[in-house]
Amino acid sequence: MKKLPLSGCLAVICCFTSQAQQTFPVNGTHDSRHNYYAFVHAHIYEDYATSMDDATLLIKDGKIIDIGTAVTIPSDAITYDCHGKTIYPSFIDLYSGYGMQPLKPYPRTGNTQMMSAAPGAFGWNQAVKSQVDADQLFHCNPTDAASYRAIGFGVTLSSQHDGIVQGSYALVTLADTMDNAAILTGKAAAGYSFNKGSSTQDYPSSLMGSIALIRQTYLDAEWYKNAKYKTEVNLSLEAFNELQALPQIFLVDDKLSVLRADKIAREFGVKYIIKGSGGEYQLLDAIKNTGRDFIIPLNFPDKPDVQDPYDAHMVDFSTLLNWEMAPLNPGVMEKDGINFSLTIDGLKDKGAFLTNLRKAIKYGLSPIGALKALTYTPAYMMGMQDKIGSLKKGMIANFIVTSGDIFKQGTCIYSNWVKGYPYQVNDTTNIDLRGTYALMVDNTAYTLLIGGDANTQTATVLDDKKHNIPGFFHLLNPIVSLSFRQFGDTVHPIQLSGLLSIDHKTINGNGTIGVKTITWQASLTNPFIDTTVDAPVKIPSINEVRYPFSAYGRTKSELDSIQKISKEVLIHNATVWTGEKDSVLNNTDVLIKDGIISAIGKNLSGSKDATIIDGTGKYLTSGIVDEHSHIAASGGVNEGAEACSAEVRIGDVLNSEDICIYRSLAGGVVACQVLHGSANPIGGQSGIIKLRWGQTPEQMKIQYAVPFIKFALGENVKQANWGDIFTVRYPQTRMGVEQFFFDNFTRAKEYESAWDSYNKLPKTKSKDAPDAPRSDLQLETLTQILDGKRFITSHSYVQSEINMLMHVCDSFHFHFNTFTHGLEAYKVADKIAARNIGVSCFSDWWAYKMEVMEAIPYNAAICTKMGIVTAINSDDDEMQRRLNQEAAKSVKYGGLSEQQCWRMVTINPAKLLHLDEHTGSIKVGKDADIVLWSGNPLSIYSKAEKTFVDGVCLYDIQNDAAMRNEIAQERARIINQLVSEVKPTVKKVKK
Amino acid sequence: MKRYLILVSTIITMLPAIAQQPVPASANKKSVLLLNGTVHTATGKVIEKGAVGIKDGKISLVSDASSAQSNSSSYDTVINCTGKQIYPGFIDPDCTLGLVESGAVRATTDVADIGALNPELRALTTYNTDSKITPVVRLNGVLTAQITPQGGLISGTSSIMNLDGWNWEDACYKADDGVHMNWPIMYSRVFLNPDQIGGFVQNKAYDKQIQLIQKFFSDAQAYSKQKTHEETDLKLEAMKGIFDGSKTVYIYASFAKEIMASITLAKSFSIPKIVLVGARDAWMVTDFLKQNNIPVIVTRVHSQPAMTDDDVDQPYKTPYILQQAGILYCLENEGDQEENASRNLPFMAGTTVAYGLTPEQALEAITSNTAKILGIDNTAGSIEVGKDATLFVSDGDALDMRTNNVTLAFIKGKKIQLTSIQTELYQKYMQKYGLK
Repeated sequence: MKKLPLSGCLAVICCFTSQAQQTFPVNGTHDSRHNYYAFVHAHIYEDYATSMDDATLLIKDGKIIDIGTAVTIPSDAITYDCHGKTIYPSFIDLYSGYGMQPLKPYPRTGNTQMMSAAPGAFGWNQAVKSQVDADQLFHCNPTDAASYRAIGFGVTLSSQHDGIVQGSYALVTLADTMDNAAILTGKAAAGYSFNKGSSTQDYPSSLMGSIALIRQTYLDAEWYKNAKYKTEVNLSLEAFNELQALPQIFLVDDKLSVLRADKIAREFGVKYIIKGSGGEYQLLDAIKNTGRDFIIPLNFPDKPDVQDPYDAHMVDFSTLLNWEMAPLNPGVMEKDGINFSLTIDGLKDKGAFLTNLRKAIKYGLSPIGALKALTYTPAYMMGMQDKIGSLKKGMIANFIVTSGDIFKQGTCIYSNWVKGYPYQVNDTTNIDLRGTYALMVDNTAYTLLIGGDANTQTATVLDDKKHNIPGFFHLLNPIVSLSFRQFGDTVHPIQLSGLLSIDHKTINGNGTIGVKTITWQASLTNPFIDTTVDAPVKIPSINEVRYPFSAYGRTKSELDSIQKISKEVLIHNATVWTGEKDSVLNNTDVLIKDGIISAIGKNLSGSKDATIIDGTGKYLTSGIVDEHSHIAASGGVNEGAEACSAEVRIGDVLNSEDICIYRSLAGGVVACQVLHGSANPIGGQSGIIKLRWGQTPEQMKIQYAVPFIKFALGENVKQANWGDIFTVRYPQTRMGVEQFFFDNFTRAKEYESAWDSYNKLPKTKSKDAPDAPRSDLQLETLTQILDGKRFITSHSYVQSEINMLMHVCDSFHFHFNTFTHGLEAYKVADKIAARNIGVSCFSDWWAYKMEVMEAIPYNAAICTKMGIVTAINSDDDEMQRRLNQEAAKSVKYGGLSEQQCWRMVTINPAKLLHLDEHTGSIKVGKDADIVLWSGNPLSIYSKAEKTFVDGVCLYDIQNDAAMRNEIAQERARIINQLVSEVKPTVKKVKK
Repeated sequence: MKRYLILVSTIITMLPAIAQQPVPASANKKSVLLLNGTVHTATGKVIEKGAVGIKDGKISLVSDASSAQSNSSSYDTVINCTGKQIYPGFIDPDCTLGLVESGAVRATTDVADIGALNPELRALTTYNTDSKITPVVRLNGVLTAQITPQGGLISGTSSIMNLDGWNWEDACYKADDGVHMNWPIMYSRVFLNPDQIGGFVQNKAYDKQIQLIQKFFSDAQAYSKQKTHEETDLKLEAMKGIFDGSKTVYIYASFAKEIMASITLAKSFSIPKIVLVGARDAWMVTDFLKQNNIPVIVTRVHSQPAMTDDDVDQPYKTPYILQQAGILYCLENEGDQEENASRNLPFMAGTTVAYGLTPEQALEAITSNTAKILGIDNTAGSIEVGKDATLFVSDGDALDMRTNNVTLAFIKGKKIQLTSIQTELYQKYMQKYGLK
């Protein structure tokens, strides 16, 4: 039995020999070796939770033969003494582009591309690439593989990560071998994202479009699977169905999109493993509630540049906070019991991986949790826990040999074994010789200290007078070079060269002092003990997370205390504008209990715990409702690639972190309809929300809101102002718009009747039973309109088209709800009034395009006088927070009374949105969505002082002042760290 | 050609459907005395029961009503303004009225031309006195405007116009008064994910653009010193006035660093009249502005704060901060739909009152301060004897939309018609429905 020290015995062997493939001819002499390798006296992690001292790992032919403390080592085994070394299962990265051929995108076909550019019998959308298999695109890349191995990885899940449906991912080893041998599982997982990637097709052009496309693809695939009488071959849908048997990975790039992906998963009963962004800690409860597994990046943010004070002003508080708190992410996820694996995705330098991993541990991730996330969990996610991720009998021999605890600073990886084949990570210069040696040079005794980092060792020599002499030290195993001078000497350098003993404890050799030849010897007296002391860093607490994660966000405890004091609120002695018939009540009290207006009157008294607010001299009104808003939506509010986008839902993409929510609260706004844009005649479904700042997107939605959809008419939908190249999409004229509506509603009717007839058929499994119709999310939505279950608000300008749309709706016998903008509504106000349709318009916008040249600010007044329920809307984040001023303009333009004006931004929009039973006026039993104003709310000199949503005071002018101060203080605190941050002090103590 | 004819005939047939434009006011030989109104002089003084006399296009009298009473016989017309408010005409210092009719219709926009350095472009000769927008704007009290080209690094030369007149020569108040320069943007915002988390990146072309400006100013300065030129260069000709103070340089810059860099460059050429425009971050560099004595035309008050962390009301209170710092400033409305939204200038002033200014300071920010910054304060911007009688009477507080109701307005003493396409359409449809 030959016993060799581990390092130094691993010659670099041509990589393609040891694992030649069975079907391949050999050009030369066969070289198949079937040796045992035994790693003895090692500290071995059998799996993330179990480790053994002085244990043996026995491998052969790329597999683990045995492991434990009582392993019988075959006599012919090649044995490595791993004393002092630690063996871990090698790491697995489930998000990697390793070995992928570069993406070859199809060129875009024209200025407008409405169909896929991919030739072949694939699906209609180029971003659905279910037919792409990463194993077909895989080719080993030795340079890249080496960089992964150097940081401990043995396996990656690789893909080009392109498109919304990305096809299958391949699980591959990081061996330098034939591609055939590197692939562990060709089709290991299926991938999805919201990003259309290289697709040149116009659709989807928004996040909500991506979501809708995924939905429709699930439905289409299901239909395709079951339909017997289909007339098309669709390779994308076929492949999509095959993908469903694999683990499903969904890639997102922010925390809110985790919730979006989760929603799709619930809808279609699929189980996504979510590749997150690293910001999960910012919304931990909601993330935890998804119950999903995660792949989490370790790319902690770079230091923001705040050296210059003006540059610092451009760095958001959230960026500063994220820099400080992001390393908490893995630890808090572990503590919350969320299952996750780790990926190096996003690291500019792979070398930062171990640094960041160690940082995460310092910030609360347990070493066991870290190891689990790098080994067992990813293996488990791939259903490969019996083959990789642990070191058990029969498993693949993928492991790393390290100088010690991998999670400690200074530890290095010596070698990385992939399928039983060794790859040196640190070469022969990298044996850890750190420690204290007794050094004898030509009968003179010195002490030699070898210290520094395991990767960059340095020597210091102490003479008998304890002079510290820096030495030059170099190792090219087994040859050690050491040179130094005697203290004070300038002419007789001591130059030594020696051989390192096999046990690494002694060095013997010859050298020169000046011209004299001498012998020397060093022997280890005290091995190195790492007693690194890091500079104290204040680890932030997860309790400091603000909701939303930005300026003006509040911590959980702050939110709780606001809730608490809002349980019962009595506003005393205010001028109350009720918005009801009684209109103005002077010196009146309003009592709120549990978010509901419970009493209005004089001399009301609450319980002893009630929060009392003095309203003397102030005005209390219902909060402002904006019928037409585009705040709080992510990834675009237009899905304008197709003329009909009834399938998209703003509700899918609400952004609860938009600062405009808070700013609108400061303007007395409590609720709004977040609308699709006006890029196409049939737009998308609305999100109707209250401005519940600090809550999640789902929590912002108004539960009792009825479904709405945006339609649009005129110049925008016929692309008149999009630029000269936009002449492809139908319709290009108002004539086309009319026919487009007729066509879509006609199809919707037919769709509905097809389903009706199908549903009436007796349920049979007979072979020739007719197919179910294909579920179509667009037509589904349109049938809801026909059935009076979904309401239309239509962007509209000139009278002809307003009239036209009313006739279209008449023809299909449903009630049209609202003309939003409706700038020329005044010209057909009689017709609108006769149909009981509402108008929601700008106060005074005009002239910015041809169709608004006859828009007049008197529109709202004329409509009101004609008995139309009329609202003033904003369509603009800045105007939204001044809607009180916009409403006031109708006093000037058309002479409406103040009460009429005020209704146009409260109860009237609430009526138009069918919310008026619950909100929009001050009435007992309604939601306490109310605002306390410093003066007459229509006065340009008044300000909202308190804004309550569901009785909770989410904006308070005094609290706002306090928050400004706190933000300034907190910014200063973090900037101080960034400006003064010094490297941690490292002390190396030898004993 | 045939197509062209059809187009022309379409326009002609459309004409009768469009409401008549107000007829420009004719020279007023008769004198007028406005009596008993509250006079907001925009000099910090309010005369509760006041009198304003107009003779030969000029303000001939500003006093309290009782002392004017004896004088009333010397006026041809005495108008009782009891309960009404009298203001100097509001001035929009930076807008494209008359250059743009409908922003989305290319045929109707003349604001920016090809090229980066275009000081020779003159807004004056493009200004359209027949715009349908102008009569609408002046209905809210805006009676004067600096009409300004846009685009490029040096956009062109502005002129100050009365918002009434038969043609641009007639309407011109001060021709070719200033050259407008857009300072290159130092940073632009980038978004890293759909939820708009992001930051700023440096503009890579910044240095190059600065060099271009630097060289242009150097060349222009050298040219201005030449007694004769080897060749006449229209661009450099147009720059001449900025070195002798006959023209103002208006510098558009937003970020604090842009503000400081741009002013420093302009100062290095010893340019006598520099005005900073936009200046979103002016509130951060008040010391710098004060030390350098730089007046500021403050960007649209009705704006969102630039940064998430900024005070929610930052743009609303920036004028107050400049006021407190002793900086000369005025308000503007440059941005989306600036031509038609020019009529909301008084309400921006109104908003600043809720955020710190006194009502009279807010008024000055759209009248007398503006006139000072534009260099027309000898004749305009306030109600003072000897100044042009560009003023109006409102039913109530003109800074609040509920009470801003202009019933009588004069431009250089000429009484202007207070109708517009909008009032005519209003009347037309009120009639249709029999409404009152």
